[in-house]
Amino acid sequence: MSNTRLIPLIIERDVRILFSDAFLVAIMFANFAIDLFVTAATFGRLVTGQGENYFLFIAPGSNLITAMVAAFQSGRDVWREKYIKDLTSYLLTLPVQRPILAFSRVLGGVVRSVIATFPGTLVICYLYGILFTQKIFVAYLIVGLFSLGIVGLSMAISAFSSSIEMWVTVRSAIQLYLSFLSALFYPVSVFPRVLAPIVASNPMTWAIQAFRQLSPISFAQVPAGDSLGSILILAGPSLAFALLGTICYIWYSKL
Amino acid sequence: MSSSHTPANGSSKTTIAAESPTHLILQMALRDVSVLFRTPWIIITRSLAFIIQLFVFAFLISGLIHIPGLNFFEYYAVGSVVATIASISFVIGYDIFEEAEEGVLDYLLTLPIARRQFIIGRALGGAMRAIIYTIPMFVIVAFVWGFNQPLSILTALVSLFLLAFGVTGMSITVAVSVKSANRFDVVLALLELAVSRGSTALYPIAFMPFYVSLFAPFSPVSFAADTARNSLVGFTLDIPAIAGLVAFVVIFLGLGAAFYFRRLEGGIYG
Repeated sequence: MSNTRLIPLIIERDVRILFSDAFLVAIMFANFAIDLFVTAATFGRLVTGQGENYFLFIAPGSNLITAMVAAFQSGRDVWREKYIKDLTSYLLTLPVQRPILAFSRVLGGVVRSVIATFPGTLVICYLYGILFTQKIFVAYLIVGLFSLGIVGLSMAISAFSSSIEMWVTVRSAIQLYLSFLSALFYPVSVFPRVLAPIVASNPMTWAIQAFRQLSPISFAQVPAGDSLGSILILAGPSLAFALLGTICYIWYSKL
Repeated sequence: MSSSHTPANGSSKTTIAAESPTHLILQMALRDVSVLFRTPWIIITRSLAFIIQLFVFAFLISGLIHIPGLNFFEYYAVGSVVATIASISFVIGYDIFEEAEEGVLDYLLTLPIARRQFIIGRALGGAMRAIIYTIPMFVIVAFVWGFNQPLSILTALVSLFLLAFGVTGMSITVAVSVKSANRFDVVLALLELAVSRGSTALYPIAFMPFYVSLFAPFSPVSFAADTARNSLVGFTLDIPAIAGLVAFVVIFLGLGAAFYFRRLEGGIYG
């Protein structure tokens, strides 16, 4: 069987793992709903600096956080395969080249993440009034591209974490960085100058900016125009992290 | 993580059996305290989360909130301690789940301690370690905002302890009710998110959407946050909130104990 035929099979396996317990997908949506309709809605009433649009300003963040959780779940599954289920030997017997297997696992994680955030992305598109426009495809592209980087990162962590505690700790630290040291809750300009490079190199900053640029509403301190520039910037760290995840997966498979 | 032995491990069976129930409960509790403090990863993560949330998130977002009469940075500071104690109290559930998966529970059940004392000890241990863990954060907040009334501080700490005790019971209930590891992870995370976000810990009830404001006053995290805030800032005792907290502790400690007891005696872990 050719490698091109094998990639969808590997992706399908990862998607099946996600749906082996559909309850998990429902819980992820519940998390998104709490983030959006409780936290974001409340901050939307509290924050006046962004006019009446603060709820919409942070709304895509709820969806991107769900994408981040789903992406990390893929990394956790890889970790479980290695340390709990001891599936590494079996996976190495599969008739597929290791780089293809590794990259397919990353792609599988992206597909899982896009599926997990599918309803959430629809909700955000509805709130932004772009549900029935072509921009909806761009919205999914942003979620996919953002997930690509996070899946890569989570797979890289899985390769180096020997205990679940270490894995969870590194994951939490990355989640803190993505959530609080990005433009998710506030414009980049409010950060002290010393933190500006950290915020500017955060994939969440560009993912959320790209999302905000899809909205017909112009938010304060979000550059007007299409999302293409932000998407291109987002592609940089995302592809780099995906490559890192692929390399780490191959490295750990050889052990 | 959870494979540590009880402090009584080296003693003879006869000596342990003769010990008072209170002493045995305390030994179980101390074991849980030492288990948490032997896992620096959890402590590092949660401390980092607290510091970033308070000194980055709360500080920056306060600059965007211009509500007369509301010092959001101070409001969030007290609330974040309450949310953190709730979060750390949930960890006992992970320990209990892991013990069952790894077979450590079998060992624990061979200890010469009555089941009831065992369960109360676990719940107490969960609450004790949460309060020990949170005290440095509480001190930071008290220092930065100048909370120095001993009685107010004591009331706030009691409310935090009650919250920790109740959440521990809730976490044990979930740990012994859910069988799949993945499901357990996400259910506990969702529960943690729901009780913290749907509460008055992180934002005032007046700014919540109507549908949230209906439930938020009844969140145990709200009870603890309101009690702590009223005593630290307003120097008053919020009796209804304290009563709510006590009710929460009684209900979930009872539920947790009942579920745990049933599982242990049902031989599911056996």
